[in-house]
Amino acid sequence: MNDLNRWLLIPAIILPAAASAPAFAVQYLTVEQAQKVLFPAADQFESRPVTLSAEQRKAIETAAGVRVRSPEVNAWRARQGGKASGWFVLDEVYGKHEFITYAVAIGLDGAVKGVEILDYRETHGGEVQNPKWRAQFTGKKAGDTLKLDEDIKNISGATLSCKHITDGVKRILATYEAALK
Amino acid sequence: MKYVTISRFGSAAALALFSAAADADESLFGYLKGAETLPKGAIEVVQSVTRRWDKGAGDYTAYDSKTELEYGVTDRFTSAVYLLGQSVKTQDILIDGYIPKDADTGLKLSGFEVSAKYNFLSPAKDDFGLAGYVSGAYTTLDPHSGQKKDKYTVEGWLLGQKNFLDDQLVWVGNVGLESTYAVRLPIDGMVLTQDQWPTTPEMEIALLAGTGVSYRIAPNWFIGVEALYDTEFETEVGQERWSVQAGPNVHYGAKDWWFTATWLPQLVGGGFETYPGQIDTNLHLIEKTKQEFRLKIGFNF
Repeated sequence: MNDLNRWLLIPAIILPAAASAPAFAVQYLTVEQAQKVLFPAADQFESRPVTLSAEQRKAIETAAGVRVRSPEVNAWRARQGGKASGWFVLDEVYGKHEFITYAVAIGLDGAVKGVEILDYRETHGGEVQNPKWRAQFTGKKAGDTLKLDEDIKNISGATLSCKHITDGVKRILATYEAALK
Repeated sequence: MKYVTISRFGSAAALALFSAAADADESLFGYLKGAETLPKGAIEVVQSVTRRWDKGAGDYTAYDSKTELEYGVTDRFTSAVYLLGQSVKTQDILIDGYIPKDADTGLKLSGFEVSAKYNFLSPAKDDFGLAGYVSGAYTTLDPHSGQKKDKYTVEGWLLGQKNFLDDQLVWVGNVGLESTYAVRLPIDGMVLTQDQWPTTPEMEIALLAGTGVSYRIAPNWFIGVEALYDTEFETEVGQERWSVQAGPNVHYGAKDWWFTATWLPQLVGGGFETYPGQIDTNLHLIEKTKQEFRLKIGFNF
């Protein structure tokens, strides 16, 4: 075996191992399941997608201090017996490699009713699924600080995911004020 | 056989061609390091292969292998151990003090290394990420000639990192200091002068600085550029060599594994002297090559 062939053994061994590695995405909840968890009494979810105008995007970025990557807002109006009970907003934020899919429920008073993680695909940081950590967002409204190590505790070792979800919730609340209220 | 005739490079000797820089976390860059550390209890295995080739004369190709096991001791402190290997194939180029004979060594174990990285500021949470990194290595083979050489290397680095655009764009800046002590061993069957193959101990200090940016172009995929300045000082000749290498990189990261590939050609370089007959006098080709390419593959546990 010549020198080059010997060296090529390294990727030849590693790449099949990598290809067979369980690079799975953890789907905790479907959209429908998340809707039921966040609005258990609701009997209807009316799809109300919104495309933000340039002015709305700017207003959201100014209010939240967070970049609006997409003008599309995936929102549903939750209803119970025909009466509105709040908004269900499906969103994505960056993880280290892929997007983290999560949902925010906002009540009629404009406060967060709950946050659910739907998909988490990262190597580390899955602790954001911890209910106690997510419960910190309950009751938060647009204009609240929503900053790691201030009103939202960080999970050491999951900092990137914590930061992006915190920023995401802040942006969703600003979006509610600018486009859903 | 036509050899390039090479003069002695002072009493200075070849030391680490590479800084032996190792990454203590999943790396967006092939040569530079970010400020992040592994979470507590996390394990990462990284295999790195570097190809170095083309000295502008003769036929020169070398490979360096680095097999790394990293462990997150705490969320801020990552330690790692490395197994080092190399192969050198050199023909028709002799450089006094560096390459005394043709060689085709094949893959050989060359040494081991340990490192520690401490994160002072998180690039994800703080305005600026900062980490300190130290490593120590012992190697038994010369990376230039493939001949026997005992070398002890200690490195210290400051690693800066700033994230932009929701961490879609990552900038890193590294500065490092490397100190080495090395002794070449006599070559069996050859009678060489101290100019051709000095066997007295040598000590050198290298300063290294690098910068790079990496941009997330799609989920899982980053592309970027990185640059590395490397200069070495030795008592007798002062600044022995310097070089600037720069090139593109690509990084792919999935849930359980990742790879990074970097092409890092030498753009400009110089030093105390060139080898006689060297055509590319704007490069340092005694210890460095014109071309380098590195592939790193990591697995997360």
